[in-house]
Amino acid sequence: MIRFEGAGKRHPDGTIAVEGLDLDVPTGRITVLVGPSGCGKTTLLRMVNRMVEPTSGRVLLDGTDVAALEPAKLRRGIGYVIQQAGLFPHRKVIDNIATVPYLLGWDRKKARARAAELLELVGLAPETGKRYPFQLSGGQQQRVGVARALAADPPVLLMDEPFSAVDPVVRAGLQDELLRLQSELHKTVLFVTHDIEEAVRLGDQVVVLREQGRIAQLADPHTLLTTPADDGVAAFLGRDRGLRGLGLRPASTVAVRPVGDGLRYGGWELALDDERRPIGWIDRDAVTAELHPAAGYRPDTDTLRTALDSAVLSPAGVAVALDAAGRATGTASREAVLAALSTPGTGAAGETAPSGSGEAEPGPAAAAAAGDPTDGATGGR
Amino acid sequence: MDDEPIVRWYWIGDHLGYLGNLLADHAVIALLPVLIGLLLAVPLGLTCTRFPRLYQPLSAVFNIVYALPSLAVFVVLIPYTGLATQATVMIPLTFYALAVLLPTTVDGLRAVPDPVRQAATAMGYGPWHRLTSVELPAAVPYLIAGLRVAAVSSISLASVGALVGRGGLGYLFVDGFQRTFPTPIVAGIALIAVLALAVDLLLVGARRLLAPWAVREKGAGS
Repeated sequence: MIRFEGAGKRHPDGTIAVEGLDLDVPTGRITVLVGPSGCGKTTLLRMVNRMVEPTSGRVLLDGTDVAALEPAKLRRGIGYVIQQAGLFPHRKVIDNIATVPYLLGWDRKKARARAAELLELVGLAPETGKRYPFQLSGGQQQRVGVARALAADPPVLLMDEPFSAVDPVVRAGLQDELLRLQSELHKTVLFVTHDIEEAVRLGDQVVVLREQGRIAQLADPHTLLTTPADDGVAAFLGRDRGLRGLGLRPASTVAVRPVGDGLRYGGWELALDDERRPIGWIDRDAVTAELHPAAGYRPDTDTLRTALDSAVLSPAGVAVALDAAGRATGTASREAVLAALSTPGTGAAGETAPSGSGEAEPGPAAAAAAGDPTDGATGGR
Repeated sequence: MDDEPIVRWYWIGDHLGYLGNLLADHAVIALLPVLIGLLLAVPLGLTCTRFPRLYQPLSAVFNIVYALPSLAVFVVLIPYTGLATQATVMIPLTFYALAVLLPTTVDGLRAVPDPVRQAATAMGYGPWHRLTSVELPAAVPYLIAGLRVAAVSSISLASVGALVGRGGLGYLFVDGFQRTFPTPIVAGIALIAVLALAVDLLLVGARRLLAPWAVREKGAGS
């Protein structure tokens, strides 16, 4: 556990970056510091690995004041990922990843073998290891950055806006990847972002900061979205926070009507192909057999927000429930989705990864790509 | 120079051994100072990057030295190092090389992107260790660019040394001028050009070898 005890930072010119913060960052969970620029979030993050020394208070790592530890040694035990990845341009990807193992004195072979494992863990092809960083896309570089931070298997991971320099689609993929990794690795993650969307998506606990590192609210994402502490936090959360809160609740609570023979809803009929995958909705009163897109969702991996979205988009007012292969397993009417809304939310953030359906799930990328059938970019391993 | 042709090939044919000796002497006089300059520029550059306050005064000194006419420096050195010795020519050339190489080393070390530096620190590199194993290798393309300038200008400057009795191929210019006999002059120019070109190609090759990651880096903005 990381504990901030009245940790403050006053610059030599007298300006105060952080007034003095008390915060516990629980072991094995993702804690997100979110706030506008200048709220001191990066300063706080860097206090943990002593890249910034607090001028008041202290930071404890598993009960030990970090000030008592030798900086280089401390840092080798803490993973660190930054915005621009910061890969070493002159080293091949594999050696970039092996940086900390090399520093720890592992022999070359062992370090590289470990790096190769991590390359696979973050979803990059083995050949990528032989490339130089400039030959990779921004998203790939960021994956290498994450792999490098994990190389020596540190219990703590500091992430400073790691995904904010990549485009939104890639960012969503990286976020999913992080959640998947976290579900396997259970690191103590301290994550800094200015993007509240990202904060509620990733955080087990979200710390909304104001200027000088004052905590405006500390809550789990669901509580944050449903009951912001004050108007300031509500404004920071932005519009549609109710709807966005649905993005944190599993779609599995929606009552699904199994697909029988009759796929007629009012004047609409759902057309399926031979594999029982939906092709589209047909207006039975129309002269032409024009197909209207059939929006679907995965009850096991998607969220209530996706289910509602599918129901809203459907001309028949019915969301199609799909299995992993994209086959229609049932349907949920708008009423059924709305009924699920009024059941108390579990607020299970970051738990969207399936735990039940064991075989070859395409990863949480499916959650991001819901409504966009062209997924498989991140999921198909 | 009434009927004297630009080149009398038989002269060249008769003096191949002599030309070869001058070429070798020229290469040593011109390039050894660049090598020594590099060996001094790297530690100096690292120190200047680690302690930035040193850089301004140090680079001012080298700029002033660079501004001094080479002939004047040669003459001043003669009482100490002797007439027609290699050292008389090589000492000033070393300073000229340093004047080029120190700024390029420092620029190269500073050109490492901030996130790279921060990442290195956060991975657990100490300041010196980081400079030598992250910033210095990343500065190799800069160093080689500096070496190319320093080497070529040193090859050209070394010929001035002929005026104090030790200038390698430069001697051919003095000789040809005094005898109104252009052949040695032409031969000297050609050999200097060949030497400069060969050294430059060698350095380009070294860059490919030592910094393969920098060859196509331009345009791949990262």
